[in-house]
Amino acid sequence: MASQILPLELIDRCIGSRIWVIMKNDREFTGTLLGFDDFVNMVLEDVTEYETTAQGRKKTTLNQTLLNGNNICMLIPGSSGPEDV
Amino acid sequence: MDASSSGIQEPFDLIRLSLSERVFVKLRGDRELTGVLHAYDGHMNLILSDVEETIMIVDQVEGAPEGHATVNVAKRKMEMLFVRGDGVILVSPPSRT
Amino acid sequence: MDDSTPPPPPPAAAEPPPPPTTSGSPTDFLKGVVGKRVVVRLTSGVDYRGILSCLDGYMNIALEQTEEHVNGRVTNRYGDAFIRGNNVLYISAAEPL
Repeated sequence: MASQILPLELIDRCIGSRIWVIMKNDREFTGTLLGFDDFVNMVLEDVTEYETTAQGRKKTTLNQTLLNGNNICMLIPGSSGPEDV
Repeated sequence: MDASSSGIQEPFDLIRLSLSERVFVKLRGDRELTGVLHAYDGHMNLILSDVEETIMIVDQVEGAPEGHATVNVAKRKMEMLFVRGDGVILVSPPSRT
Repeated sequence: MDDSTPPPPPPAAAEPPPPPTTSGSPTDFLKGVVGKRVVVRLTSGVDYRGILSCLDGYMNIALEQTEEHVNGRVTNRYGDAFIRGNNVLYISAAEPL
């Protein structure tokens, strides 16, 4: 069997870098990844939260934040988020 | 501020200290309860007595801007109630002095 | 029955003073914020601002001097509040760590 990188190993390599987190609903976060656990609860720093509503996109900036892994859908390493693409 | 100053080591201590007291409970589906707390468990299943339930019925008018929804409040009373824990959002005990 | 993902256990009560670093894992973060002002946002979008008393492995939270914010407005105040962990979206430090 060829050597394979585990999904969580990839996330581990992102520690210290910017990461873009897309939730199962209309919410997204970007921030610097400080750490995470087996449930992919994540600690982020210099965070921006993006909330897509009928009225448009709402931005909130946050200090150091523990994000519950329960509602996370996708992680995009090295991205500054929705304004980067 | 230190958690030890309030005598609480874990969140459930807050509930334990509220037994036999009137508590405020916020539930999913825009419901609120006040009642005397008789029992609870690790799921936050609750037994309350002398309960008043408040239900917020929000009617968002089609096409109306946000904040123009009309809110109707319905209240009802129940003598004794079991609350299933998964509906609980928040429990607030009476202020400790 | 609870579909929340528990974070690692919170710091033990009788632990030596936590290291000054606030970086790293969820556990380290939580050690750093207990006793500090935090914002707890629920998946519903409602915010609770207060002092973090303690929390457990299900992200159940006890807050002191809590303000409930809905759409930027204060809608309630609680001396103490127990928040059931399955509703929690994030816990954010409201003051620099």
